Amino acid sequence: MIKARGFKGGGVSVDHRVPFKSGPIENAFLPMNAVVVLRETSLSVEPFPVVSVGQEVMEGQLLARSAGPGSTNVHSPIPGIVRRIRATVTPEGYESNSILVSLEGSFSVLGKKPERYLWKSLNKADIAHIVQEKGIVRVSSGEPLSEILSERSSRPGFVLVVNALEMDPYRRTEEELLSIRPEDVIDGCAIAARVARPARIVLAVDARLSPEIEGRLKGIIEASELEMSIMSFSRRHPQDMPRQIAESLEIVDQSALFILEPSTLVALHDAVVANKPHIEQYVYVGGGAIKSPAILKARIGAPIGDLIEECGGLVGRPDAIVLGGPFRGRAVADLDASVTRTTQAVLALTSEETKPAPERPCVRCGDCVAVCPEGLDPYSMLKLLRAGRGEAAIAAGLDRCTSCGACAYACRSRIPLVRDFRAARASEALR
Amino acid sequence: MSRDASASLRYPPYIHDWKTSAKAAWICSITLAPVVAWSIVLYGRSAALVWLVSVASALASEAVASGISRRWTLGDGSAALTGLLIATAMPPGVPLYVPALSAAFAVLVVKAAFGGLGANWMNPALAGIAFAYANWPVAMREYVLPRIVAGVDGVSAATPLTFAKGLAGGLDVRIMDSLRGASYPLSSFDSAVTGFLNDSVFSRLGARLPDGYIDLAIGLKPGALGESALIAVLVGSLVLVGLRLIKPVAPIAMVSVFAILARVLGTGLPGEAFLNGDALFSLGGGSVLLVAFYMAADPVSSPVRRRSALVYGAAIGALCFVFRRWGAYSEGAAYSVLVMNVVTPFIEKSASGMTAARARRRSS
Repeated sequence: MIKARGFKGGGVSVDHRVPFKSGPIENAFLPMNAVVVLRETSLSVEPFPVVSVGQEVMEGQLLARSAGPGSTNVHSPIPGIVRRIRATVTPEGYESNSILVSLEGSFSVLGKKPERYLWKSLNKADIAHIVQEKGIVRVSSGEPLSEILSERSSRPGFVLVVNALEMDPYRRTEEELLSIRPEDVIDGCAIAARVARPARIVLAVDARLSPEIEGRLKGIIEASELEMSIMSFSRRHPQDMPRQIAESLEIVDQSALFILEPSTLVALHDAVVANKPHIEQYVYVGGGAIKSPAILKARIGAPIGDLIEECGGLVGRPDAIVLGGPFRGRAVADLDASVTRTTQAVLALTSEETKPAPERPCVRCGDCVAVCPEGLDPYSMLKLLRAGRGEAAIAAGLDRCTSCGACAYACRSRIPLVRDFRAARASEALR
Repeated sequence: MSRDASASLRYPPYIHDWKTSAKAAWICSITLAPVVAWSIVLYGRSAALVWLVSVASALASEAVASGISRRWTLGDGSAALTGLLIATAMPPGVPLYVPALSAAFAVLVVKAAFGGLGANWMNPALAGIAFAYANWPVAMREYVLPRIVAGVDGVSAATPLTFAKGLAGGLDVRIMDSLRGASYPLSSFDSAVTGFLNDSVFSRLGARLPDGYIDLAIGLKPGALGESALIAVLVGSLVLVGLRLIKPVAPIAMVSVFAILARVLGTGLPGEAFLNGDALFSLGGGSVLLVAFYMAADPVSSPVRRRSALVYGAAIGALCFVFRRWGAYSEGAAYSVLVMNVVTPFIEKSASGMTAARARRRSS
């Protein structure tokens, strides 16, 4: 086996993987009520609703239209009636309007056998138009794919990285997609490449990807005539973050990377080939408090409680319900939070997994310094912050902190380093 | 407490490493269990009482400090560990007020008065030990022979280190042989094991192990409670390093520098010469290993970064050697760590200054 690539200093070993029900991904039941959040990021302009309360909508019908930077078209995930349009607070803590659609009527688009367009005859502008029209969002960041694709195509010479790395014990969606829909991932990649024109393409996979799947991927890549190489990366959090990928590829400037994950490419593929808007999302549902962890193909707007129910429900009392990964996700207070186009995972974690402990004073063990993948000194930065010397903390490298969570994961005294660093960066940025 | 814990869960990351500062202190304490048990086998009730009183006094003091600061801190395990570590330096049969007052001083004055766990500027246990040596110098140096060797309880005797210092011996005689020549007690177990080792292994290599080293390793000699089970201390240290609860840089630097200096320069004992010191005797004869892995490696009072920890450990080793060779008393390991505890902020500051200077050079 070829030696796996990896970033150099720090990181947390994530060798252990929690088993889940793999195999064909099941469609989750349609939600009775879908709450569609209009803004995917705190910085985006809010899309403008084009439906009114009481109106009947079809599955995939436009609900809100892109209204500026960062905003995308939003489509109805289910056929039904618009019940409500109102401001809600997202789990990330920012406000956004959301549209509630109650299930009614019949399937119109997605129930039928998908159409298949031969996209190879489409030119760059056609594809860009479809991506924009169908409201495709980069799953890992919530940015509109049309925006980042056109931005990239104006600055050539970059490396397109298909990032199938998942650096925690739970999430496996991206890797599963490589084994279940490899043709569509590579095809999606070819579509993205036609618009953005990368210098080369790297498929970043886990070092222990089965040779069988790797062989299949190689065959598909060869047939696609893409200039694409498969590279394996070792299991170490936060290997999936941009600077760590760049470092592992020996690329100095991380902005020379354009990173897309298989789930985004599949959404892109479905939009261009099958005319599907971004109304579905592959969600890993797991954690110690979930009876039978699995990946579900869920409709946007479905309450996460429904997904948990479909995975056998909760066993015991979860200590935290988290959207996204365990290192960088967001805790939610209840099970009513709805799936968005960036919901990669729903984790119900037991206290054996969260390992809570009361916060204690720093004992200077130095574990945070040892694990920081950016080579920073979280111990000293925290000390400066607690002494009220925010500027000195920034000078010590606080602005290079990526909130990966390694330091707070390792902290023996359970000091919420990530929270404090984020807050400090935000307040220093205001000055 | 549970409210604290759930509050922290509102922020990422939502999973954590198994280590907590409290667990680290408790595991550290547990690894001392064999040492405690063996010392009780060797010295009986008098040893048991010293351990008990020292730990009880440390816990009571922590409870008092908790009451004053209104922060319940007994669960963090650091007080119990401090009590245990203070007892390791006590001779069996020491008057019980010595461990009691030393532990109280360590917890109340050195730790709590400076802001509790994490804020103490020197290792509380070491400060307590130094306190005991300073206040009761005679009681702290009254050692007895283990009853396995003497046959009865409470036969006083000097430690091998102290005894060897007073010996006059030729250059051609090794320390252990000089000790034998002066009829220093030797257990029958040692002579049996050493004899077996010499016959089966060392004779084939053309070497000979003098009698007495086995006694050093398993504590069949007069000494402080923590020195009674060198092998148990070593195993405990390996456990702590293996679980990554302590960083091995400082203790290894300390032990290596000390052993090399002792080997090269000799510790001033009879039979030692330039390039012919008895490093094995120097390491085994006192509390160097225990102090290295259980006290010099204490994170709170040692440097955070690896390079600084290396300097810190090496300096302790060198100081320890100086105290051993030229000091008035044979036991200087505890004092060397204390001195370096005080210097730690300076080491860290100059190290960070150097890093900053390098960064400036690189960027310019």
